Amino acid sequence: MSSRILVVEDDERIRSSMRMALEDEGYDVDEAASGEDALDRFSAQPADVALIDLMLPGMDGFECCRALRRQSAVPIIIVTARTDTHDVVAGLEAGADDYVTKPFVAKELGARIRALLRRARPAEDEPTVLTFGDLELIPEQGVLRRVDGEGDIHCTRTEFRLLCELAANANKVLSREQLLDRVWGYDYFGDGRLVDVHIRRLRTKVEPDPALPRHILTVRGMGYKLVP
Amino acid sequence: MVSLAEERPPPARRTMRVARWRSRRGPFSHLGVRARVTFLFGAGALLLSVSVGGISYLTTQHFLVSDSENAAVQQAGSEAGAISVGLADHDADPEAVVLASADPGTSAVLFQHGKKYSTFFVRAGYIPSSLQVLVRSGSAARENVVIEGTTHVVVGVPLTSANAEFFALFDESQLEHTLHILALAIVTAGFVTTVLGIFLGRSASTRSLRPLTGVSRAAVAIAGGQLDTRLPAATGDADLGAFANSFNTMVDQLQERIEREERFTSDVSHELRSPLTTIAASFDVLEAHQEELSARARQALGLLGADVRRFQRMVGDLLEISRSDTGSADVSLEDVEAGELVRRAVAASAHRLPNAVAPPDVVVDPAVAEARLSVDKRRFERVMTNLLENAALYGGGATLVSACPGPARVDGAPTLQVSVEDHGPGVSESERSRIFERFYRGQLSGRRGDGTGTGLGLALVAEHIRLNGGVVRAEETDGGGARFVIVLPMVELDAP
Repeated sequence: MSSRILVVEDDERIRSSMRMALEDEGYDVDEAASGEDALDRFSAQPADVALIDLMLPGMDGFECCRALRRQSAVPIIIVTARTDTHDVVAGLEAGADDYVTKPFVAKELGARIRALLRRARPAEDEPTVLTFGDLELIPEQGVLRRVDGEGDIHCTRTEFRLLCELAANANKVLSREQLLDRVWGYDYFGDGRLVDVHIRRLRTKVEPDPALPRHILTVRGMGYKLVP
Repeated sequence: MVSLAEERPPPARRTMRVARWRSRRGPFSHLGVRARVTFLFGAGALLLSVSVGGISYLTTQHFLVSDSENAAVQQAGSEAGAISVGLADHDADPEAVVLASADPGTSAVLFQHGKKYSTFFVRAGYIPSSLQVLVRSGSAARENVVIEGTTHVVVGVPLTSANAEFFALFDESQLEHTLHILALAIVTAGFVTTVLGIFLGRSASTRSLRPLTGVSRAAVAIAGGQLDTRLPAATGDADLGAFANSFNTMVDQLQERIEREERFTSDVSHELRSPLTTIAASFDVLEAHQEELSARARQALGLLGADVRRFQRMVGDLLEISRSDTGSADVSLEDVEAGELVRRAVAASAHRLPNAVAPPDVVVDPAVAEARLSVDKRRFERVMTNLLENAALYGGGATLVSACPGPARVDGAPTLQVSVEDHGPGVSESERSRIFERFYRGQLSGRRGDGTGTGLGLALVAEHIRLNGGVVRAEETDGGGARFVIVLPMVELDAP
């Protein structure tokens, strides 16, 4: 069964051309012309990946992203006409997993979608249970929970995958490039902001005090490391 | 028509007015305002002190001299009276009379019957003969003479009753000394006044020009791109306030205009993105289905493809350029190893080059292989791509990319030097700075083919390198090819 992509874009011609290009890449495509429309369609039939244009009439792309994130951990790619730091970072803060800038090449978009879908399935050689602090991580089941049984911590697949990479290499520094490669499938020149924003989001979920992290540490000029 | 022409003078007249205004400028117009004002103040002070000093000197001199002469005449008169009385006694010795009657401080001489009787040693030659003649003729007279370097007043009084002439000599050296001192004082005062005038002129012109220094600084800042620079509103000073206002209004309008133009470029690029997205995505679909097309349609698709990609890159480049023009370019610096950066950038760029172009050799000097530098990787990768693409288009492909330690900067910080070389025809000396201009195509402009660049490639190279704190230049290799040299600042090795 092929993966289902929800394309949220108000320009009909762009939407149609994206549908055709994505269908050629082997995906099923669902179209939505507005943020509200997208939420309705997603409730009716959840997609595997959502592509959201940031400039939408009515509910804008950021709001749509947040609303979708509230009800699902579905991978979200934001589509932006601007690569300004502000837009990209704001989109990632709103819960997006990755971004592409217009105009994009269909192959590149396909590659980004494949990377997101691939990393939703954990690698096989990872240990079954990883622990740090009072948290327990079970990669195979996609579960992150407190040891004391106070319940699961909800995080997106990208956040989960990032945490697995860090936890599997506990006490070792992983550079942004390594994380971009292993989690997002980017090469050396990928955008480090992806890692930075996701680390920030992870900290608010797993750190007792996100401003003074004790587990996910920044190693200046080198990258990040997880200390159990 | 005639009235219209009269109302609105033709532009030529305006030019003439400017020319006339120019020609009216004074002989000191080559000097600065400050020098001119200083000079005028100095000259004014000098003129003033010369005239005031001259008048007071002459007045004082006149007064003192006539006063002293009157005193001399009076004294000579009274002495002459006493001598006249003494000589009335015919037995009296004229010399004794002279000695008795004349003031002890006076040099006096009496001529009687061709004989000379004097108080001290006074030579007959001291008395000018013209004066002697005048006095002998029966009238009193005086004359100034210089005796052994000192000015004296000689007063001659005829003593008709005794048939004699009396001459008294008064030393005027005291008066002369006084006048000398006076002259010295006046010259000194004049000199001091002139110097003070120069200082006053200098400080006054400096003070009044001080706002201009502010204007100059503001103008430099504005020219340097700080368009939000304004002059402080000079409250209280009507002249400066009006000036600052008009200056600020001018900058407001300038800023608005520049920002409008920059926004326009940015808006155009953004607006192009939506249709371009449709075009690119549709083209991808067409390309995926090209085996369903006829040979002729496939050929057309091939033509379309190259230019769709080029158009995409051009819009991207335009956006990039407009972002750095509007100052909204974001530079995200990361600490990276020089060797890895260069190798990775060349490898990543190679994907974007035409298949026919062989990848260049990469040589990294061991001295810098593990050196760290703080750089925006994305921008560096674009620089490498654009340089390799440029070499592919105009130099038959880059042959060598090398990294080595660059010349230390002025502040002593080490640098990394990255060179990209080709075996092409090189860049002529006159073109070496111009090739970094936007849309500059140079001598090879005729060679626009399938793979022609966007015209912004090298301009972006310069821009990316500038944002990374480095410099780029074009050189000639020993073999006559082109070499592009990038120098980037490096992090100190012993830095924490």
